[in-house]
Amino acid sequence: MGRYLVQRLLSLVGVLFGVSLIVFLALHLAPGDPAQLLLGPLARADDLVRLRQELGLDESLPVQYLKWISHALQGDLGRSISSHRPVLTDILERFQATALLAGVSLAIAVGVGLAIGIFSAARRGQWVDRMAMVVALVSMSMPSFWLGMILIIVFSLTLGWLPGTGMSSPRGDGGPFDLIAHLILPAITLAAVPTAIVSRLTRSSMLEVLGQEFVRTGRGKGLSERQLIRRHVLPNTLIGVATIVGLEAGYLLAGAVLVETVFAWPGLGALLVTSILKRDFPLVQGGVMLIALVYVLVNLATDVAYAYLDPRIRYG
Amino acid sequence: MKKSRSIRAFWSVLAVFVLVLSSCTALTGGKKGGSFVLGLVAEPTSLDPATLTDINSMRILSSIYDTLVRFDESGFDLKPALATKWTVSPDGLNYTFELRKGVKFHDGSAFNAAAVKFNFDRMLDPKNQYANTGPFPFGGFYYGSIKETKVVDDSTVQFILSQPYSPLLNSLTLNQGRIVSPDAVKKYGKDFTQNPVGTGPFKFSEWQHGVRVVVTRNDEYWDGAPLLDKIVFRPIPDEQTRYTELKSGNADAIVDVPPDNVAQVKADSKFTFIEQPGPHIWWVSLNMQKAPFDKVAVRQAMMYAINRDAISKDILKGTGTVASGPIPPSIKWAYTDDVTKYTYDPNKAKQMLADAGYASGLKLTFWVPESGSGMQSPKSMATAIQADLAKIGVTVDIKTFEWGAYLGKYGAGFGTDADMAAMSFMLDPGDPAPYLGLVADSAASAPAGFNGGYYKSATVDKLLHDALATTDQAQRGKLYQQVAQQMTKDVPWIFIDNQIQNAAMSTKVHDLKLHPSFYIFFTKIWMD
Repeated sequence: MGRYLVQRLLSLVGVLFGVSLIVFLALHLAPGDPAQLLLGPLARADDLVRLRQELGLDESLPVQYLKWISHALQGDLGRSISSHRPVLTDILERFQATALLAGVSLAIAVGVGLAIGIFSAARRGQWVDRMAMVVALVSMSMPSFWLGMILIIVFSLTLGWLPGTGMSSPRGDGGPFDLIAHLILPAITLAAVPTAIVSRLTRSSMLEVLGQEFVRTGRGKGLSERQLIRRHVLPNTLIGVATIVGLEAGYLLAGAVLVETVFAWPGLGALLVTSILKRDFPLVQGGVMLIALVYVLVNLATDVAYAYLDPRIRYG
Repeated sequence: MKKSRSIRAFWSVLAVFVLVLSSCTALTGGKKGGSFVLGLVAEPTSLDPATLTDINSMRILSSIYDTLVRFDESGFDLKPALATKWTVSPDGLNYTFELRKGVKFHDGSAFNAAAVKFNFDRMLDPKNQYANTGPFPFGGFYYGSIKETKVVDDSTVQFILSQPYSPLLNSLTLNQGRIVSPDAVKKYGKDFTQNPVGTGPFKFSEWQHGVRVVVTRNDEYWDGAPLLDKIVFRPIPDEQTRYTELKSGNADAIVDVPPDNVAQVKADSKFTFIEQPGPHIWWVSLNMQKAPFDKVAVRQAMMYAINRDAISKDILKGTGTVASGPIPPSIKWAYTDDVTKYTYDPNKAKQMLADAGYASGLKLTFWVPESGSGMQSPKSMATAIQADLAKIGVTVDIKTFEWGAYLGKYGAGFGTDADMAAMSFMLDPGDPAPYLGLVADSAASAPAGFNGGYYKSATVDKLLHDALATTDQAQRGKLYQQVAQQMTKDVPWIFIDNQIQNAAMSTKVHDLKLHPSFYIFFTKIWMD
């Protein structure tokens, strides 16, 4: 296991280099540049030339990349072109908000998804099962920004039960449950698709396990249904679900962009979108690297979790 | 924890007392106190005025900073601000300002001539010690004519110009001319963008990125302390979300009400809707270097062919008025109605095309951005134009680009690829000179400037040049009026609309006014 972890961590470095190169090229080769966007139509040719020089954009691409990567390796991701703030500060701050939202959504997706999936599998064929799966299918098909707006209109505007945007009360008078209240609607919106996916997958995975020989053996042995499910069926079911959870983390980090925009949630996704539109190169590069890092680490954690769930899996 | 009866009684009496008191002051108006939450269209980029290029961030900063001169409340007349008097030498090369005495920055340091010199040196001299707190994209554009800033004495400062530049006074009212505290720049360096210190009616309190910028009342403000305790600026980029925030009370006011929600807000008695024509213009540049727009008759035919009233009413839902020429009517001193007028007359347009040799119709390429600062609803507007032109036998092929890419293409010039392209401009200095110099002067033909359609008129070039040299505003105004008359004859552009800026607020908010420059001023606002 130890050697396996070391190998995976080393390949992580390779992945990050690759990502950095791809992002850099995509940004610099796409039309439009930050100097042009800063000046807008007020751009005299000389002003453009001078501004590009001040931003370090007049050097050749390989030089620019090498400068950036050498600083990055020392922990200096440069400064944002628009805010002048150190990129690391900007992205870490905004990432906390995204991580909170994505984390809570993931917890909802796994918790609720598993519960529904198990419940459905246990009552296979009955109307609650069919209903649950239809609801899951509908949830999976709804665009997240549409669902978000509907929730805001119903729960925030019409009923006034929950705040509709932001992470905190604008006047700072929210009270101790302010953050939780603000989290509810965006987390539900973001969790809708993963919950549906987890529930359907859990159900089918569990049904598959329930149909296996060893389950009949267990029943024959005299194990109660509950003992059977808890000690034998569930762990085997979870293996199949664990893969999806790792991939869902990726969806959550990406899908957070739309939800963050609709709910004015101050996360990294929304920041990246505006930064791309402004061609804020250092910020986009740093931000995408961070997301890539998180994604790879989450998948690594998933793979390690396998080893605990399934004694048959051995690494290294 | 149980409170004794007498303590509870005390609090009840106090509560009643406060209630009575607050209802009394509500009746008299101009009540002091309260926090005002304003919903903005985007997260501000930086709080250092010299570094800014986006109007959204600039709007916030009128709360923290002042300029040497400012516009009066309802128009573009110059009034004293941090400068009390000013004189311009007859040759237009020396501007001398007497500064207000006894004004302090929020950090306690003194506002004086040395502070003014620090501000302009930082922005204009690349070798200045603090130039690394930049870049300052618009510094050179508005103030590049300043050769030297001289401290005459503690409260007198002089700008010495390298050549006459009459828009300078108007340009000093702009955001980039806001005076920052030299001590604070020295202390914070590059982080000054996050720690603004000015002389304005409010002091900076905190900036939670993506969440809010908070400013609190400056009780020592030289023009009289403002009424609000604090202002909370909230970025709400999604326009529907901005609207729901207003409705739910989480924002006391929002700017840029989406056109589709304007009617709802106007009809709702819980909200006040205000609008104000701004110094903005949206137009379509025509490529004059190739057929068919090298012929003036064809260009004029376009003006007759397009139903600009319908665009204002149906697409912009009243958030724009039809533009008659290149200069927005809100810049009263430079505007005239006495220009060549074009009514909506598709038959006449068709006839003119036939007379010019295009009876069988035309095929044109139209560049349009997908969005962009000041571009309103570019795709819907372009589609309406396309439909109008189809009625007279002109087929328009619309090519859209993302804003960043679009600016690059437009700035490089239309070449042979485009016949027409949309553009807009905000004339926030309340002066047509900087903008006309960039889009109408033949010297600014792309790629040198933003005259993408290669308009070249010796008459207009001379008028623009003369208007830069004289500082007599009445005289300048006449020259710009002649520019408008020439341009409405030449029709290098299809003049479409002037945007009307708007805002909506709850009825609890009073005395929030929109200024024609698109800036907002916060000193007089108060809340119930």
